[in-house]
Amino acid sequence: MLATIVTVCKKELLDHLRDRRTAAMIFFLSIAMGPLLLFGLTQFIASVEKKAEAREVYVQGKDNSPEIVNYFARQDVTIKDPKPDFRELIKNGKHDPVLVIPKEFAEKFSTGTAQVELVFDDTRQDSGKVSIGVLRRLMLGFNAEASTQRLIARGISPQLTRVVDVQDVNLGTAAQRAAGLLFIIPWITLLGCVSGVTAIAIDVTAGERERGSLEPLLMNPVSRAGLVTGKWLAVALYGLTVATLTMCGFALTLNFVPLPNLASVLSISPAQYFGFAITMFSFAPAMGALQMLIATYGRTYKEAQTYVSYLIMAVSMAPAISMLAQFKDATWQLFVPMLGQLMVITRILRGEAVTTIHYLLPFAINATLCLVAVVLISKLLTKEKIIFGRA
Amino acid sequence: MIKVENLRKQFGAVKAVDGVTFTANSGAITGLLGPNGAGKTTTIRMIGTLIDIDSGLALIDNVNVAIDPDGARRACGLLTDSRGVYTRMTARENIRYYAELRGVEIARSEKTLARFIEWLDMKDILDRRTEGFSQGERMKVAIVRALIHEPTNVILDEPTNGLDVMSTRALRELIKRLKSEGQTVMFSSHVMQEVAALCDEIIIISHGRVTAQGTTSQLIELSGKQNLEDAFIALSDVLNTAATRKEAA
Repeated sequence: MLATIVTVCKKELLDHLRDRRTAAMIFFLSIAMGPLLLFGLTQFIASVEKKAEAREVYVQGKDNSPEIVNYFARQDVTIKDPKPDFRELIKNGKHDPVLVIPKEFAEKFSTGTAQVELVFDDTRQDSGKVSIGVLRRLMLGFNAEASTQRLIARGISPQLTRVVDVQDVNLGTAAQRAAGLLFIIPWITLLGCVSGVTAIAIDVTAGERERGSLEPLLMNPVSRAGLVTGKWLAVALYGLTVATLTMCGFALTLNFVPLPNLASVLSISPAQYFGFAITMFSFAPAMGALQMLIATYGRTYKEAQTYVSYLIMAVSMAPAISMLAQFKDATWQLFVPMLGQLMVITRILRGEAVTTIHYLLPFAINATLCLVAVVLISKLLTKEKIIFGRA
Repeated sequence: MIKVENLRKQFGAVKAVDGVTFTANSGAITGLLGPNGAGKTTTIRMIGTLIDIDSGLALIDNVNVAIDPDGARRACGLLTDSRGVYTRMTARENIRYYAELRGVEIARSEKTLARFIEWLDMKDILDRRTEGFSQGERMKVAIVRALIHEPTNVILDEPTNGLDVMSTRALRELIKRLKSEGQTVMFSSHVMQEVAALCDEIIIISHGRVTAQGTTSQLIELSGKQNLEDAFIALSDVLNTAATRKEAA
C-alpha cells in the first residue's frame, strides 16, 4: 500500500508540475494576489488616515478673532473660507460644518464671554461627522487655553478648575485595530489554501474520468484506498506549498515593500507565522480532500469545476458572514472549517491568547475530513456509474 | 486460460449478461463476436474485475476474480475502450507508472518495453509527451501499459476501433506474437474479417448469451450458410428467432 501511495503521489506531483493551469493558479493566488491586495489595502488605509488627519475647517469671519486663527494655526489646522450660501448647502448636505465668528467677538472676548456658532445639520451626519468633531475639539482646546491664561494672569492655579481630569484610555491596542483592518490576510491565505489546489484536485479525479484513464488505472492490482491516498497526498503537498508561499508572500511584502503607516501597526513575529502555519497546514489538505470528493462526481473537468465552485463560494463568504453576524469568538466556530481557522488566525493577528484547543480542535476536524473523504472516494471508485460514466 | 461459467449481470431491468459460459485456452486466440449491446464489454469488464459479478464464475489461470481480484489483475492485461493517457507525461513515463504500480522492477519493465518498441514501432513516440498523439499512438501506449507486467492472459475489448490500417495491422501482428508466446489472447470485435483472420475459436454472443461457439468453418457449417458473415447473422439471431417462434406458437 505504501509503495502504491508513493508511486501515485510522485506521478501526480510530476504531472502537475508540468501543468500550466495549476502553476498559474498557484502563482496568481499565493505569490501575487495576497501581497497585491495587501499593498492595495495599506494604500487605502493610509489614505483614510490621511483624510482623518487632514484638518481643514471652514471658518466664517476669521478676521474677527486673530486669537482663534492663531490657535488653529498652532494646531496645524488650515482655515478655509466657506461658500457664501453655506447655510443652505449644509442643509442639503453639500457643505462641511462651519465655525462662524461674529463681528462683536473681539469686543466681547476681551470683556468676558464671547460667542461663536458651529453651523451643521445633525440629520446630515454622514457628510460632516468628522469635521464637526474636529471643530468642537478645537474650540474646546481654545477655550481651555484662553481660560488657563486668564487664571494665571489673575494668580490662580488652573488646577482649581479641573475637578475631574478625564483621560482617554483606548482599550483596543494598535495591533487589534490593525487586525480589524487586515482581515484580508487570513481571508486570502485560507482562500488560497482552497482555490490553490482546485485545479489538481479536479484533475486527479474528474480529470481521470474525462480522459478515460480511470478505468485502466483501476485495473492495476492495487487497492483503491492506496490510489486515492496517493492522489490526496499530492494534492495536500500542493496545498501546503500554496500555504507556505502565501505566507512568504505576506512576509516579504510586510518586510521589504515600504508601506506607509503599516510597519508600526502590523509586524508579524516569527511566532505568529508559526501559529499561521499550524492552522493552515491542516486546513489545506482537508480542503484538498473535500474538493477531490466533490470533483469525483464530475464526469468532466468543467462539470467538476461547477460543483467545486459552490464550496469555494461558501469558503469566500464565510468571513463576510462571520463579520455581518458579528460572531463572538466561540468554541463552536472551531468545529467549522474556515470559521475556526479564521478565528484562530485573527486571534493570532490581534495578539490574543491562542491555546492548544485552538490548534488541536480544528486539526482533529481537518484530519477527520481527510480520512472520511479518502474513504468515500475509494468507495465511489468501485461504483460502475463513476468508473464508466463518461461524458 | 480464461474460464467463464454461467456469468450473469443485470443493470436494472436489463439483463446485460445472461448466463455466459466459455473457455479461452492458452496459446490460442479467442474472439468474442457479437452485435453492439450484445454483452461483450460487460462480460470483459466482469472478467477484468472492473464490475462485480451478479452470479456465475470467472477464472483467470484458476484465480477466481471475485475472490482474488488483485490476483486476477496480475494474471491478465486488459485493454478496454478507455485508452486515456496522461498528456503531460511522455509515453515512456505513462508506461513506467503502470509498471511501478504493479511492482515490476525497472530493469525488467525496460526489457519488456524494448520488445514492444520493436513490435509496435514506437521508437519515435516513446519520449514524446502524449499530448496530441493520434488514436493509433495512444492505443500503442495503452496496450503496452496494459501488458507491461507480462501477463499470461491478454484481453482486448474492440482493440481496432477507430484505428487506421497501419495501426490495425500492427495490432494484429502483436496479437499473433502473443499467441506464439503461448499466452491466452481474447478479444472482442464486431468486425467479421478480423475475427475470421485471427481467431482459433469464435464465441458468438447475442442478447447476453452465447449463441454459438467454434472455429470459422465449424460456425459456417453450423449455420448452413456460405460465409462467416451470413453465419454470424444467422447465429446471433438464433435467440430472437427462437423467441419469435415461441411467441407465434
